[in-house]
Amino acid sequence: MNKNKNNPFKTPEGYFDSFEDKLMDKLSKPESVIPKDSAFEVPDNYFESFHDTLKGKLENEPKVIPLFPIKKIIAVAASIAAIVLIALNFNWNTPSELTFSDLANTDIEAYFENNDFELSPYEIAEVLPVTNTEYSDILNSPLESDHLLDYLNENVSDFDELNIDYNE
Amino acid sequence: MIEEEALVLDLKTKSKQAQAFEVLVNTYKERLYWQIRSIVLNHQDADDVLQNTFIKVYKNIDGFKGDSKLFSWMYRIATNEALNFIKKRAKLQGVSDTDYQDKLVSNLEADVYFEGDEIQLQLQKAIATLPEKQKLVFNMKYFQELKYEEISEILDTSVGGLKASYHLAVKKLEQYLKED
Repeated sequence: MNKNKNNPFKTPEGYFDSFEDKLMDKLSKPESVIPKDSAFEVPDNYFESFHDTLKGKLENEPKVIPLFPIKKIIAVAASIAAIVLIALNFNWNTPSELTFSDLANTDIEAYFENNDFELSPYEIAEVLPVTNTEYSDILNSPLESDHLLDYLNENVSDFDELNIDYNE
Repeated sequence: MIEEEALVLDLKTKSKQAQAFEVLVNTYKERLYWQIRSIVLNHQDADDVLQNTFIKVYKNIDGFKGDSKLFSWMYRIATNEALNFIKKRAKLQGVSDTDYQDKLVSNLEADVYFEGDEIQLQLQKAIATLPEKQKLVFNMKYFQELKYEEISEILDTSVGGLKASYHLAVKKLEQYLKED
């Protein structure tokens, strides 16, 4: 754009728009004592073989099946949160009618089962604070036989495998 | 340049997924590698993080809504993976992130995949002294030659802020190298 009607000179399109960028680049680049090459190398054929390596890793990725169903954990957490909320809003002058056992975990669990939150165990694991969970928390919890049976029922396709001797 | 939208669509289609993933890996592996390498410094760790980055991309491609460019999205994953890798390693060794990064730079002297001279080694030592954001911006702009607009989308920072970070970083590095 030429603001002065009598000025016959023109600039290339977009010249002033990109001027600042070019100037800033020029200010930081020339006569710099900073070497341009970072000097990092990679092994021979690393990039050529990378896809094959990755493919192998993807194929061998073990599928993680949570021993403690994450939805049940969420249900328990939700029930505790519900108790706290109810306790905070509860009128203490009225007779106490609600107890922990009155809150039906099965209803809360059913809610989580029936509503798809589109969260994979992987995604949930990412947001759970790892620091608050120790391996010992899991190891010290007694395994309920019902949980074990449910787990085996859901995840073992061939029950004969369970009868194979360890040494075989 | 690959047609990004078509590639994303193929990645979400079971029958075309494997082939599309190969195209994706071959298109971006080098650029992502150098971004990761600039953070973790040694090749073996960069390789691990690069593989994990692509595995994460593969598993989460259904969640990619196209709000940003596929390239920016992957770059962000790679950057976060590399930064988390450093933090985890530092925690495992019971040292601060800064101390762990100083150790990484010291290891470069014996690294067979670092063929730098004294100045290049000093540069890595100087980069290690920068705040995290300046370090990222400097590496992305100076070595990888990304545009400010691209860096802005990856790091979710304004172009103005990036320019300021970059120029501050350059000044500090020059000062460090001149003094040394």
